This record gives sequence, C-alpha cells and structure tokens, in this order.
Amino acid sequence: MNRDQMIEELSKIVGKENVLFSETDLLLYGYDASLFKAKPDCIVLPNSTEEVSQIVKFAHREKIPIVARGSGTNLSGGTIPARGGIVIHFSRMNRVLEIDIKNQRAVVEPGVFTLTLKNQLARYGYVYQPDPASERVSTFGGNFGENSGGPHCLKYGVTTNHVLGAEIVLPDGEIIWVGGKALDHPGYDLTGLLVGSEGTLGIATKLVLRIVPKPEAVKTMLAIYNSLEDAGRTVSAIIAEGIVPATLEMLDRLTIKAVEESIHAGFPLDAEAVLLIEIDGLKDGMERLAERIIEICKENRAREVKAARTEEERAQLWAGRKGAFGAVARLRPNYLVCDGTVPRTKLPEVLTRVMEVGKKYNLPIANVFHAGDGNLHPLILFDERNEEELKKVHLAGSEILKICAEAGGTISGEHGIGTEKKKEMFFVFTPKDISAMRKVKRAFDPEDLFNPGKVLPEVQT
Amino acid sequence: MIRTEKLISKMKEIVGEAHLIRDSDRLKTLRIDGKRPKVLVYPGDTEEVSRIVAYAFDHTLAIIPMGNGTKIEVGNPPEKVDILLSTQRLNRITDCDCDNLTLTAESGITLKEVQKRLAQEGRGYFIPLDPPFTEKATLGGIIATNSSGPRRYMYGTARDLVIGMKAVFPNGDIVVSGGKTVKNVSGYDLSKLLIGSYGTLGVICEMTFKLLPIPEKEVTVLIPFIRLEDGDAFVQEIIDSQLLPSSIDTLNRPAMERLKPPVSLTEETRYLVAIGLDGVMEGIEREISELRERGKKYQSLDPLILYSQEHQSFWSALRDFSETLKRQRILFLSFKSNFLISKGGEVMKRYEKIMSQTGIESALIWRSGNGILYSYLFPGRSLKSKMESMIELIRQLTSEAIKNEGNMMVESAPTILKKKISVWGEMRPEYQVMRRLKEEIDPRGIFSPGRFIGGI
Repeated sequence: MNRDQMIEELSKIVGKENVLFSETDLLLYGYDASLFKAKPDCIVLPNSTEEVSQIVKFAHREKIPIVARGSGTNLSGGTIPARGGIVIHFSRMNRVLEIDIKNQRAVVEPGVFTLTLKNQLARYGYVYQPDPASERVSTFGGNFGENSGGPHCLKYGVTTNHVLGAEIVLPDGEIIWVGGKALDHPGYDLTGLLVGSEGTLGIATKLVLRIVPKPEAVKTMLAIYNSLEDAGRTVSAIIAEGIVPATLEMLDRLTIKAVEESIHAGFPLDAEAVLLIEIDGLKDGMERLAERIIEICKENRAREVKAARTEEERAQLWAGRKGAFGAVARLRPNYLVCDGTVPRTKLPEVLTRVMEVGKKYNLPIANVFHAGDGNLHPLILFDERNEEELKKVHLAGSEILKICAEAGGTISGEHGIGTEKKKEMFFVFTPKDISAMRKVKRAFDPEDLFNPGKVLPEVQT
Repeated sequence: MIRTEKLISKMKEIVGEAHLIRDSDRLKTLRIDGKRPKVLVYPGDTEEVSRIVAYAFDHTLAIIPMGNGTKIEVGNPPEKVDILLSTQRLNRITDCDCDNLTLTAESGITLKEVQKRLAQEGRGYFIPLDPPFTEKATLGGIIATNSSGPRRYMYGTARDLVIGMKAVFPNGDIVVSGGKTVKNVSGYDLSKLLIGSYGTLGVICEMTFKLLPIPEKEVTVLIPFIRLEDGDAFVQEIIDSQLLPSSIDTLNRPAMERLKPPVSLTEETRYLVAIGLDGVMEGIEREISELRERGKKYQSLDPLILYSQEHQSFWSALRDFSETLKRQRILFLSFKSNFLISKGGEVMKRYEKIMSQTGIESALIWRSGNGILYSYLFPGRSLKSKMESMIELIRQLTSEAIKNEGNMMVESAPTILKKKISVWGEMRPEYQVMRRLKEEIDPRGIFSPGRFIGGI
C-alpha cells in the first residue's frame, strides 16, 4: 500500500488532523533520547482504545509495522521506527481516568505524564512510588514498555512492581484486559510479562497502578567525599548495617561540576563524589537511623554530611540529581548513557574499570548512578559530528556493558535493550535463552508487526 | 508396556538406579487425582533435568514437576502422568550474597532451611516470603504456585521478590532469565511467566531472591471485634493510614477455633483482626498504642499483644491452617477468592451468609490488606450426596468475587468434585493469550497436561 492510501485510511479512523506526515513530523518522530534515527511513514494520534484497535487492525491487514510512543525519553532506541511504518503517539490519550483511593489504585491512559498523576495524588496524601528521572515528561505507557526505574526503586521496586493490570491492544487489534485492580488473578502473569517488553508484544491503552499513602516522614541527606571509593564503601556499609534506605544515589566530580554550573544544587565543586541518601517511613526512630547513617558516612571518610531541614532544601538536593543528565549534556554536544547494572557489592571495582575504558578511548565519562541497587549510568561524552568519536563511543559503551556482565551483572537495569543493545544481549544470554524469548514474541505477535527489530537479536535455530 | 520399560531404563541411565522409584505400590501413594505416574525420578542437577525433559519431549511423555508435594493437589485432574519429576535433590544454595541482598538456590531446598541459613549470616537476613507449609514447602513449589502468606501486605509476593531464574523448558533447553541485580530489563521477564505457572511451562531449577535484613523487632497485635462491620471499618482505616503493618488478616470465629496452638479469646469475640508489625523499636511502640486507640473507635474488645515466640507461633498456625486440618484428617474444601481491597468485609459477610444457608460450617481467613479471602468448608462425611449443592455453592461464591472485580479458584477439593467444576474460576479473554503462550512454549503439551486454567 502506498503512503497516500495509508494516510487516507488512517484519517478515516482518527480524523485528518490527527495523522501527521510532513517532513518535519517524520523527522521529529524518528528519534528519541538515544543516538538512533529512522523515519516512520506517518504518525497517528488516537483518542481512544477503540481507535488504537482500529489502527492496529488496519496495520495488521496491510502488514505495516507499528511503534507505540510516549515522550520518547527512552535511552535505548526503543521508540525508533526501525522499519518505518506507523508511529502511534499517545499525546491525546492523556487522561487520569480514575483515582480510587479506597482500593489504592489509579487508572490512567498511556499518555499521562508520571508527574501529572503524582501531583493529583498528592491532594489525597497518596503516592505512586517509581520515579524515573524524566518523570516530568515520561509517560505511563513508556514506563510500562521500558519497566522504568528511578532512585526510589532501591526500596520500592521498579515499574513492574506497581503495575497491576492493563488494557492491551494485541497485534491483531483485539482488545484484552490483563490483571486488574484485584491481585492474584488465576493464570499466567501476563502483566508481568508485558511490562518491560518494549512495545513488542502489546500496546497498553489503560494501566492500573498501585498507589499507597505517602510515607509519614522523610529525611534526605547529602554526604560529600574526597574519593569515589569512600562513597562506594559507604553504600555497602549502610546496607550491611541492615538499613535499606529509600534511595542511595551517587554523582561523581564531572557530574557535580556540570550540575553546579547549571542548577546550583549546592554541591561543592571540589568534591570527588556526593552521595544522596534518603530514608522514609514512620517518624518514630527516624532520627536515630539518620544519625547512624551520618556516623557511617563519617566512618567512611565523608568530609561533610548535610541533612535537608526543609522541603525546599530537600527539593534542591533532588534537583541536582534529577537534572544531572541535562546538565551533563551541556558539557559536550552528545552523550551516550550506559545502563549496566551489577551486584551492588561490585560497584567500586566496576567503576574503576569503567573509568579505564574512558581513558583507553580518550573520552570523558561522567557518572551518575543508583548506587544502592548497583545501577550505573556512565555518560560518555562526545561529538557525533566527529565520525571517529562516534565510532569510539559505541565501542566504549559496549565494553562497559561487557565489564558489567562479567561482574555478574546485566546490560540494562532500567532503560531497555531497544535497538542499541541487541548484540550485547549475548553478553548475558545464550541463544537458547533468546529462542525461549522468541517463543513469547511469536505467541503475541507472530507476524512481527509491533516494534519490529527490537530487543531480541537474531539467532540460528 | 515396552514403552514404559524403555522409559525406565532411560531414566536409570540419566539419574542412576538409586534415584528413581518404579515400585507400583510406592507410586500408588503418589497418585494425582487418581492418576498413577509410571516413574518418579530424582534428578541431581539441572543438566539431568534437561536430559529427562528432552527425552519426554522426544517421546511425548507427560511430566509433572514436584517439590515436597504440599500443593500437588491443586489444579484440574491431569490428563496423564508419565514422569513425576521430584526436585528434592536439587537442594543447594548456590550463591548466598547477603551484602548484595540476594540469594540464589535450587528449587528443591525448603524455604525453612534457607531462612535458617540466612538468619545466621552477618546480622541476619531473610527472604520476605511466608507461605503455607512452613516445614515442607520448597522454593520451587512456592514459586511455581505463586504461594504467599500474611506478610505479603508489606513485602509483596514472588513477582516482587524473584529476580532471576533458571528453568528447563519443554524442549529440554536450559533457559536463564534475570539475574542477581535488582533492576533488570534485559529481554523479556520470563521469570514472571513461570511464577504461578503450576508446572505447565517447564521445571524451575534455580531462583534468585531479593533479601532483607531481619527487622529490629516483630510484634503481633490481635484486635477482637463482635461485629464484622466494625472490624472491616477498622481495617480500612488502617490501610488508609500512614502506619506500616507487615500483615493484616481477619479471621472469623470458626477459623480462630481451629488455630493450633489456639489463641485465648473471650467468648464474645466473633472476628479477630491480626496485625503483624515489624520495623524499628520506636515505630512499633507507637503503632501498638495507635492501633489500640483506633480500635476503640470501632468498638473493639481488649487487644492482645504477642511477642517473640508467641508472635511466631501465631503466624505459623495461621499460615499452616490447611496443613493442620490435613494432619487431623478433617475433610475440607478450600477456595481462594480475590477482589477489590475495599470490598473484603462485604465479600466475607456474603460468603458467611451463602455458606450458612447451605448449612455448612466454614472458616474464613481474609488477607485484609490485599483483597484475598481463603475459605475452608467442612462438609462432613456425606460429600457425595451434597455434590449438587456444593457445585451451586461454588458458583455463588465465584460470582460474588467476580462482582467485585475478582475471581475464585478451588485450591483443595476431592477429584470427583473437581471434575465437575471450573477449578480456576471463570475464564477471562486474556486466556486466549495464555493458551497461545502454552502452545508456543510447550507445543507437545507434555508439562502437567490439562491441569491449569482452561485445560492448559
């Protein structure tokens, strides 16, 4: 089918004004926060599940690939229309459908921004725990697809632990519900399988989320170090003490510098590392825990530990962390962020090796990471106009993932495999593992129409 | 017959003569819904499991995996059983990394043994799972059946705690997913698919769990009520508060009376709300006094506080409720219903009414913070004569759960009754996808054939 016909058919479903196909649009929807680019045939903006189902039915009939997309904040090329086709963008399906306090659930459409829901929940004294750094724009559909994490995952788990059900449009256009507001539905846990499947198995059109009362008290601290190793040791020491904080985030010197220049979070410029520590829960006993944590920091040679005294001070400390990627982006034209994850005890040694990779390729690396759960985010800085650098950066990224895999870790903690890390899948999986996953793909999408070419590398069977 | 001989000699070759049972009297005691396996094998490692499964695949033989068999009765009667595969010899802890807060172990080890080991490591750790069959439940059995206990209110269930898995798929492939990191989005989360798959997709051989440090202190607060409405309102208030209980269970009188060891309660107590607290000392002190105060608002009777040993034995009595009944050789049926969290009180009341109309005594344990209700029915001896009314009763209870956005599965019932009902509750449209998954992964239908939802 030629593109004009495609556009005409799709216009019948969603209206002419909701099908985009200008050169600018094709460019805009052809990239995401990764380094990859491709070109869709057109972009559709549906307004209801029924419309999504009709679009998918049409595409299924005509064998046109479909990529579902939210804000495109993913860092692995997950939303790149690798084989062209239709991009479904959920900007119009952005309604919070229900906040059901009594049953501790929220029901949202996929285009809702994470923070939008959180702001609405705040009125009821409730929270949705996962907090991807891009929560201001990251959508729930995207969180679902990529199984997003965030700093608070140390204590509260990732997206999959908080999505309890979804309305799904299958690759043939059929609409089904998986899971729901109640727990433990008999049968396979399809919700658990779909979360993190990067849009390759089904498109979520409604999501049921777990919400909980906001913790009674929270305490945020910033420990400042003259050495990265000392900060790393503090992380292990806190966990070994039997304390599981809500977050344990680390930033290194280069990141601190970038953050201070752009956000002014109050991080000292001459520090080698800072550790952002937050505990939450009942107010009783919290002071004692906080004091113990401060002691542990000092025992591990923190030169200073600040505790936020007000909500403003807390917000300021967090602004430094949440704005870190953006701040680093100012240092050089481009960055590649790795998402390798290792057993948390391996962090110090892996970090040393990561920095060696930077030296080897002569590329600056800034580190921002979820230290508490072993999730590193080395940001390799480069300029994509320099072809040699571009080549080097991919090699360096791959080498870092190899290091993580060798340390007993994995190649993606929260960003997904997408296009970017397909060949690195073999660092952690055998062809047999991959072919088992391929069976899952076939059960959902035998014709490979949903986000084709993602996640699973080719294997000889 | 020739086929059976060939099967047995092949199994001997794989696991060794000492590790299989073919004696028909022994096998008779291992019947599942009346079906006797041809052989029981005890593979010693994942490699052996893989070879057994590959053989079964090549010859289209039915395999049912089993740990200590505490939940083997759950599900539809199997279409057939050729090989019963015991995981008992897969009983090693392969990696205990408390500093990383993870533990990896094989499927045949009991949770109890793992917890014992973890308690001795460093300052003491645990896997935050407290499923039934405290003494005997194996890790593999717990995960394959998605078994959970009262503390799921705070700590979640298998889907929140298992981060890696090694399993043998129906074609004999050893498949790994996830790993030792708490965050992992590398490829599809096959662990989620295997959790609660009741042996229909493969044999779980090894799992990695998240660990937590043992809390500073643990206490139980038992709050008695005369009226269910008051208990319910109290529970809903606690759930909506900022208090952080680890478990909230509500029992009716018949459930309380069957607890072993018993709790001493006044005659007028009709319902008991049991709240488990764990955390830091100061927090617990405050929670106790606050629960007491909030209880009074809803006409609670005097609460009872249980510490240390008493606390532990109360929860194990509750967890092992059905095991105790079995030990006493009491005939019972048990159901698990799920529904909206806020509807628990209503559902419990309806269930009591429906059951009393049928004239059957029932013990109810309502996992109040999670919207789950376990019902135990005591039909007495003449079950056969009551078959029709039982079927009708199950229909009514199921429809009540469905009305509240849930469902009901029959966990324990005589084979004759299981054949006449839908053990897994009402089927939903998502079943089509489950069926396709089963067909892709187990195209010859060799794993636990017919036992799961919709005859998967």
